[in-house]
Amino acid sequence: MKKIISYVGVIIFAACFLLPFIIMIFGSLRDMQYALLSPTYWFSDNLTLANYKYVLNDGIFLRWILNSLIITVVPVFSQMFFCTILGYIFAKKQFAGREAIFWVFMAVIMIPQQLLIIPKYIMFSNFGWINSYEALIVPEIWGIMGVFLIRQYLQNIPNDFEEAAKIDGAGDFTIFMKIIFPLSVPVVATVGTFSFIGNWNDLFQPLIYMTKEEMFPVTVGLASLLGKEGHFGIEMAGSTLSFIPTFLIFLFFQRYFTEGIQLSGLK
Amino acid sequence: MTELTAKTKLSIGQRIKRNWREHSIVYLFLIPILIHFLIFQVFPFAFSLVLTFMDWRVIGVSEFVGFKHWLNFFSDTLAHKAIWNTVLFSLYYIIPTMALGLTLALIINSGIKFSGFFKGIFFLPVVTSFVIIAGIWSWIFQGTDSGLVNSILGIFGIEPQLFLSSSSQALMVLAGLSILKVSGSTMIYYFAGLQSIPSQLYEAAKIDGANAFRIFWKITFPLLKPIHFYVLIITTIGSFQVFDSTYLLTGGGPNYSTTTIVFYLYQQGFTSLNLSYAAVLSYILFFIILVISLIQRKYLGQDSSIY
Repeated sequence: MKKIISYVGVIIFAACFLLPFIIMIFGSLRDMQYALLSPTYWFSDNLTLANYKYVLNDGIFLRWILNSLIITVVPVFSQMFFCTILGYIFAKKQFAGREAIFWVFMAVIMIPQQLLIIPKYIMFSNFGWINSYEALIVPEIWGIMGVFLIRQYLQNIPNDFEEAAKIDGAGDFTIFMKIIFPLSVPVVATVGTFSFIGNWNDLFQPLIYMTKEEMFPVTVGLASLLGKEGHFGIEMAGSTLSFIPTFLIFLFFQRYFTEGIQLSGLK
Repeated sequence: MTELTAKTKLSIGQRIKRNWREHSIVYLFLIPILIHFLIFQVFPFAFSLVLTFMDWRVIGVSEFVGFKHWLNFFSDTLAHKAIWNTVLFSLYYIIPTMALGLTLALIINSGIKFSGFFKGIFFLPVVTSFVIIAGIWSWIFQGTDSGLVNSILGIFGIEPQLFLSSSSQALMVLAGLSILKVSGSTMIYYFAGLQSIPSQLYEAAKIDGANAFRIFWKITFPLLKPIHFYVLIITTIGSFQVFDSTYLLTGGGPNYSTTTIVFYLYQQGFTSLNLSYAAVLSYILFFIILVISLIQRKYLGQDSSIY
């Protein structure tokens, strides 16, 4: 009996959660003028790829996707590298001020990014970074949350491997590359997936630093289409295309997301 | 001990060399990262405070004006409305997000088949961009007779609603969007919490003849207390930072009914180029979040045993 309630519940909820995505895909396959009309129209059978053709032939959309890739892929790899090294330093190396520095980092997490955006806008204007990738890449090359996750993870790994390697005369870099990095692959994947989703989906920062249409990432680009008359089909086709990378990452790394979310709650 | 005495016998040169060999990775990576941290975190934080006491001009000379912008905040009724709207948003948003997350976690944890698959479906909106979901949401909640929700309401004989064009409904529609977007991550926290409850407790309750409803309210719900606190804090902090849905769907309207703190800050800073006043607003936001975080420290500190 309890099982039946669970199954009914899970199917109803799953249908509700999937409905937006079904609307997105169907909307993208509908003639753009009519897509905004009554839902009854949706059950007619004239599907079209016109919206996808429009989006892909319009050079600016591909440019937005390219911009998003640039501001996402660079931080993802550099975060995986720097956060792992820093996580290792804070977990395993002994030096003066280690705990103090780490807790200053952790305290800074509490500062909302909206507070930093105004001074950063002024700074980046002076650096000449407005409408250039640096504004979205350079500040993101490492992240406190990533360091925290990796430090937590490495603290639970016994020092035996390291010490054995040290006796064999291995230096820190050898130990890091040969032992620490391979051991941390799951948590490094978590940091990478978090960074990917965070940067790929970010709207607030690019909205402020990118004012030229050709520098928009796909989020800001799609936002500029939103609500324009007769653009629903195009918007949905663009949304579907921009969703593909997220979906693939999600499909392959779902485990790391959910584990990462749990880990970030552990203090 | 022997190592320590050996160390003291080394010359200064040898000691520096040894120190470098053992700590080179620290110097090579921590120092550049600390500099990066100072430039992109610490300096902006301090600079923002300085900004609040100045009339910062994008072009031309900026001057010191003391507490002018801070005093403006106290007489700015629109800023107060923005705070009130944000509080209202959090009232619409926090409890439903927690309840939905807990419900989903209970279902997933009830031993159904394909639970991993369903977990994935519920988590999907969390990783989807706000822009995509907002685009779909605006279609679902069209204020015309033919909108999806209005068509459904029509079946039950309910008049078409304005939704995003109504100053009394728009904020709720935005809250609904955020609830759908976030409850998947709330589910993950609750799921972890549910799995850490020892099964003997349930078995004992069953032997005593307790029904499912009683077991939930007497065992499951109270034992999830640390999770409730944690989720409450993070959803509250999240709700005070709401921006994307307002920017995408309502532009703060109608009649300022969806102008939240961050949206107002954005407008002041980047539409009106009133950067100094926007900095004051960002500090107000910071103080609110700080208070919430301190409450978290106080209550979570004594209750973190389950983690």
